[in-house]
Amino acid sequence: MRNNSPEDARYISWEVTNIYFAGIDLGSTITKVVIIDRSEEICAKMISHTGAEHRRLANQLMKEALEQAGLTFEKVSYVVATGYGRMMVPFADRHITELTCHARGVFKLFPNVGLAIDIGGQDSKVLKISGGKLIDFTMSDKCAAGTGRYLEVIANVLGLKLEDLGTISLQSTNKISISSTCTVFAQQEVISRLSEGVPLEDIVAGIHDAIASRVARMVQRLKAESDVVFTGGVAKNIGVVKALEEKLGCEVLVPEEPLFSGAIGAALLAREITLKALAQGEPIPKGQRRLDEATFFK
Amino acid sequence: MAWFMGIDIGSGTSKGIITEDGKLKVYHLLTSGINYRMTAQRLMEKLLTKADLQAEDIACTVTTGHGADIIPFNNQHVDDIQCCAKGINRIFPSVRTVIDVQGQSSQVIRLDEKGQVIDFTISERCASGSGRFIEVIANILQIELKDIGPLSLKSENPVTFTTGCAVFGESEAISRVAEGISKEDILAGVHKALADQIFALVDRLGLEEQCAVSGGGGLNVGLIKKLEELGIKLLVPPQPQLVNALGAAIMADEQVI
Repeated sequence: MRNNSPEDARYISWEVTNIYFAGIDLGSTITKVVIIDRSEEICAKMISHTGAEHRRLANQLMKEALEQAGLTFEKVSYVVATGYGRMMVPFADRHITELTCHARGVFKLFPNVGLAIDIGGQDSKVLKISGGKLIDFTMSDKCAAGTGRYLEVIANVLGLKLEDLGTISLQSTNKISISSTCTVFAQQEVISRLSEGVPLEDIVAGIHDAIASRVARMVQRLKAESDVVFTGGVAKNIGVVKALEEKLGCEVLVPEEPLFSGAIGAALLAREITLKALAQGEPIPKGQRRLDEATFFK
Repeated sequence: MAWFMGIDIGSGTSKGIITEDGKLKVYHLLTSGINYRMTAQRLMEKLLTKADLQAEDIACTVTTGHGADIIPFNNQHVDDIQCCAKGINRIFPSVRTVIDVQGQSSQVIRLDEKGQVIDFTISERCASGSGRFIEVIANILQIELKDIGPLSLKSENPVTFTTGCAVFGESEAISRVAEGISKEDILAGVHKALADQIFALVDRLGLEEQCAVSGGGGLNVGLIKKLEELGIKLLVPPQPQLVNALGAAIMADEQVI
C-alpha cells in the first residue's frame, strides 16, 4: 500500500519528463494494454485473450507491458481502464467508458475522421466524433448478430479459422444471401447451404454481407457525412471491410492495429488527466491502486 | 374406408400421421436432419408400412412445417398455424388459445370452436424465443433434451439470464458453471427466460381460456411449470409434437370431402 504523505507519487513537478501513462481495454474477448510517455509516444503494447480470469489477466498483461517498456509500476503516473470488464481492473486509477476512449483513440489515429465503427467480440458501436469528443453514438449489444461473435460461430461451423474468413470471402463470385438475423438460425442456414453444395467462399461472403448490412443501418441512423474509420477485432477481416465499403459507398479506413484504439484512447486520457492536474499544481487524482495478484476464484 | 396423411417437417423432428375414417391409425417420428426431401420420403414409407397400405390408398396428403415446401411427392401444403389450430381443436375442442413451441419458432394462436384461426403472433427471428434456446443451453451443460425439464424442476434458486440472445446466453451459462452454480439452477433460469418470451407473445394476443400447449415444447415439464407460474393454465396433449401433423391429416380429409 502506498502512503498518503505529500512525497508520494500524487505530487509531481510539472517539469518532470519521464512520466508514463497506461490504458487497459478489457474487452469481452481480447484485452489490450498500451503505455505511452509524456509526448504521446507508445512505449509498450500488449494483447491477449480475455478468458474467464479477468483480474488475473489484467495484472499479468500489465506486468508484461511494463517489462516491455522497461518500467516499474510506480513510474506509471496514471492508469485508465476501459472496456466491458473495466471494473475488474484492480490497479486502475479511473474507469472510463469505451465509447469515450475509442473516440479519443480514433482521433489520435485519424484526426480528420468524424465517424468510427467498432465491431468487437460482443458488441458493435458506431461513434460520431468531433475534435476527439464523442457527439453521438449507436450501439448494439443485445444480440450476437452484428458482432464478432457472429463470425466466430459461423467460422466454427465451417471449420475455418476466424482470421482466414476475410481472404476466403474475397474469392467469392456469387455470394449468397443469409435470410436469418439470429446467429443460431444463421448457423443452421449455413449448414443447409453447405449440404446443397454452395461453395464455401460464397457462404462466407454472404455472412460478411449480413454483418455489414446490420452495421450500415446503424451508420445511417447517425447521418454523418465524413470518412469512416473501422476498428475492433472484426476490422482485421478484409471481407467485412470490403462489404462495408460496398454498403456505405465510401472508403473505410482501418488502422494498422485496429484492436488498440480503445487502449490508446485510455492512455491518452490518462495523460490528459495527469497533465491537467500538474498544470494546476494539484495532486494527481489517483485511486487506491495496486498491482497484486487478484483472482476471481476465491 | 378413407385414409388421409399429414406430414409435418419440423426444424428438428419430422412427424407423420395416417388417419382412417377420421381417426388416428398410425404415426411416426423421425429426426429431420439436413435432407428434408429424403426425410419426408422415408417418413411416408414408414407410415405406409406401419399402416399396411400402399401410396395409392391415401386419398390426400397435406404437408406442413419448416421444410414442407420441398417435399417430393404429391401433396397440398398448408401452413403450420392452420394445422396447429385444427389439430388442437380435434384433441381439445374447448381450447381457444394454443401456444405452439417449436424448435425454431414459437407461436400463439387464437382459434374458434371449429378450429379456424382467428388471430396469431409469431416469434421466429430470434432463437431465444424458441425451443432452440433451451437446446443450446442443454448442450453446454451436456444434458440430454429429455432430461432438461425434470432436472430443472429440482432447482431451488434459478439464475436470471440478463441477455435476450441465445448466443450470449450460452456465454452466461458457461460463466455460471464456472462460478459453481448447479445445472438445475441454470436450466430453470433458461426455462424462465423462454417462458417470459412466450408470455410476451401471449400478452400481445390476449389469452382466452382454455389454453393448450403444442409442439416439442409441450414435452418439457420445466417449461410448462414456468408458464403456469406466469398464470397460464395449460392443457397438454398426450403427444404434443404430433398436433400439427394431426391437423394436416384433418385438413387433407376436409379438402377432399
